[in-house]
Amino acid sequence: MKRPERPANAPRKLTLAEWDACYDRLSEAGLREPEYGGRLSRHIGLQGDLRLRQLRFDESPAALRLWNFLLTENQRLCQARAAGERLVGAMKDLGTLPVMAYSLPGLRAFYPDGAWWTPCLMECSDGLLQQAEALGIDASFCPVRAMLAAFQNGLHFPRPDLLICSAGAVCDDFSAIAQRLEKMGFPIVWWEMPRRRPPEPREPARVLPGNLVAPRIQVECVRAELERIGKLLGKLAGQPLDAQLLAGGIQKANQVRRLLASLRHAVYASPGAPLPALEMLVAEMLAIHFCSDREETIRVLTDLLAEAHARIRRGRFVVPTAAVRVFWVNPPADLRAMNLLEDWGGRICGSDYMFTHALDLIPEELPPLEALARAALADPMAGSTLDRARRIAAECRAHRAEALVVSRIPGASHCAREGAIIHAVARELLGIPAIELEIPPVCDAMLPALGSRIQALLETAKAQRDR
Amino acid sequence: MQVFFTSPWVPAEWIKAHGLEPCGVWSAREFGFDSLPLSAGVCAFANAAVRLAEEQRESAVIFSTHCDQLRRGFDAVANAASAPVFLFNLPATWQTPVARQIFDSELERLGGFLVALGGHPPSSQELLQAMTHYGLARRRLLRAAAGCAGRRYAEAVARFHWDGSCPPSGDPLFRRQEEPSPGGSVPLALIGGPLPRSQWELLDTIERAGGRVVLNATEAGERSLQPAVPREALRAALAPGARVCSQLEADERLDPPEGAATSAAAESACKPALRQALTRAYIEGCVDVFQRPNTRLYAWLKKRLAARRARGIVLWHYVACDLWRAEAQPLRQAFGLPVLLLEANDAASGCLRNVGRIEAFLEALR
Repeated sequence: MKRPERPANAPRKLTLAEWDACYDRLSEAGLREPEYGGRLSRHIGLQGDLRLRQLRFDESPAALRLWNFLLTENQRLCQARAAGERLVGAMKDLGTLPVMAYSLPGLRAFYPDGAWWTPCLMECSDGLLQQAEALGIDASFCPVRAMLAAFQNGLHFPRPDLLICSAGAVCDDFSAIAQRLEKMGFPIVWWEMPRRRPPEPREPARVLPGNLVAPRIQVECVRAELERIGKLLGKLAGQPLDAQLLAGGIQKANQVRRLLASLRHAVYASPGAPLPALEMLVAEMLAIHFCSDREETIRVLTDLLAEAHARIRRGRFVVPTAAVRVFWVNPPADLRAMNLLEDWGGRICGSDYMFTHALDLIPEELPPLEALARAALADPMAGSTLDRARRIAAECRAHRAEALVVSRIPGASHCAREGAIIHAVARELLGIPAIELEIPPVCDAMLPALGSRIQALLETAKAQRDR
Repeated sequence: MQVFFTSPWVPAEWIKAHGLEPCGVWSAREFGFDSLPLSAGVCAFANAAVRLAEEQRESAVIFSTHCDQLRRGFDAVANAASAPVFLFNLPATWQTPVARQIFDSELERLGGFLVALGGHPPSSQELLQAMTHYGLARRRLLRAAAGCAGRRYAEAVARFHWDGSCPPSGDPLFRRQEEPSPGGSVPLALIGGPLPRSQWELLDTIERAGGRVVLNATEAGERSLQPAVPREALRAALAPGARVCSQLEADERLDPPEGAATSAAAESACKPALRQALTRAYIEGCVDVFQRPNTRLYAWLKKRLAARRARGIVLWHYVACDLWRAEAQPLRQAFGLPVLLLEANDAASGCLRNVGRIEAFLEALR
């Protein structure tokens, strides 16, 4: 398959070396950056983020800011700790507890599970996976096992003052790893997330974000659990988490979510992609815990949105309009996969990176804890895979997806079944080609096979287009 | 009608009280392991549960949420199975009122499912009978545990999970075995996930290799017998004046108690309390790896490993069972005993590879 040609005035994707040259030019032209700004290449020396050498990045200052924001999280957390802030590790919680924690002054929540990308970013030079193996958590587990070793060696994030983890309808990998962590001497506060189910006939029900419905009793249970956690957070902050504070936190979280919704709509609905898939993946991840800085997340997303709008106005696309529109399910363990998709003529037109509930607005008209409980219950991973598949199908339709990729995470317990279920729904409701791709944290050795599979998918989608 | 259940923490007595036949899948002949799907990471046990639901027409299958694979296995058959299927939400936490609330509401919902299958809402007397019967059978089997392990005990417990029965008190099961001589077989604990009928050969293999299972802590083994409704709770749950105490006192009898509260007023006052007592018994009695934290499992094991002088642990886990696999090192550290990991898959447990590993393990322990 021939690689698609790029129009001459199209924005480019740069290698790391090219970004350094571009950085010099931008600096000379008066580039203004936040405190954490600088050359991207410095992260190789500072943190050993070797994978950056293999990635290609959007050329905009907005993308530079996004990457620097992402790659300085550990330093920013350490600075916050030094400034007297209290740190909350919110594990297996994609977008709920951080909203509560950031409602309180002096608290900063982060997502230790995010260490699952460290072996990718450091091309396994961190040794985290090997250390996890020495702790009895081998390659039969999801790469999130890197988190276990990161806690042990303390090099990738500071030890949190409070560690909270949801239990129940969560991945077994993570639950087992978190349990192991607790036995290693990291006390954990567990809270129950029931498996979301449809209400029985005549059972009192509540509407959730994402066009979902759950029984009232499940909402009540989650609300009670969040209330319990809220008291602990209040104790840590030295100030109770009251309804007013939480309502303010929800409004701010919704500001982030609105920005992301605008960004996703602008990029995914556009004829060509104004921003690359990789930067969009990173931007979406900010919804989970604001990359440890809610206010800065808002600024980063605002810049990206402005860049996307400007490019759309000028018809300048980083991926051309002819590219096959692909809906991507699950985050890839290797970020490079997103580059690869575009290299071979695809583009992302929609995504479900396992936290679509963190993209939906939290209802502001409800009592705040009730609203947050409903938002938490809308987690696609806590409900039936069929619910998730139906939402994926609806979004595929809305974004005119021509192909579907289910990215398998090696060893992840949810991947054993979900791919087949999502495929079946896609076949039945959409009739578009779909594949599963297993992507390890460093996929270089598998590039030919991954490339072949992606190409086969894109060719099939194109053949359908031509029919 | 048979109602298959895939977790011992789904109360069989609740199903029985609805007039249906609870059957634990562990000894079901229909529960077979077939070739696994090509996609890696599918648990053979969860897959067998999915197959069972796909192939049954006359029975129902209850899945539970205690592991991701069963939970998502339910998703695979929810709209496609021949059998009516139900997913029981087992809370992973156990220390909070929310855990009890979830369990209790699931019992109520399961009741609705059972009635839709042709069962009937149980009267207090029926529920009390079932709870007493199962409670006494569990107590009796638990008493036999220390003296009789190995295959005979596994079969007795499986039989209990299959039809609620318990051998009579004169059964050899309840005769205490003589302490083996110091040079005799090596006492082992078998800990881990489900050990269904097709895998029982593992117990023979261990014996043939010179070992002796003194603690069967697999999913449907001795651990599964913990839920017990205290007699005080039953008394408290009953309407004043109900004549059941004499039956409860005679705890060696497995006959259903007679003369429980029967008036309409007593019925309405009694049933929710009985159900809550059942909830409490399961929430407090559940001892499993999926619980968070799973400290109760370790406390339960500690007591028994010491009392029975186990010299090694065989950790029986399914391929892709993260919950058990992750416990290998903590088990080793917590009890200072050598741990042998044995992988269950679609092959029989007596396969050559497992035999070789067991023999080597026991040889090292002698």
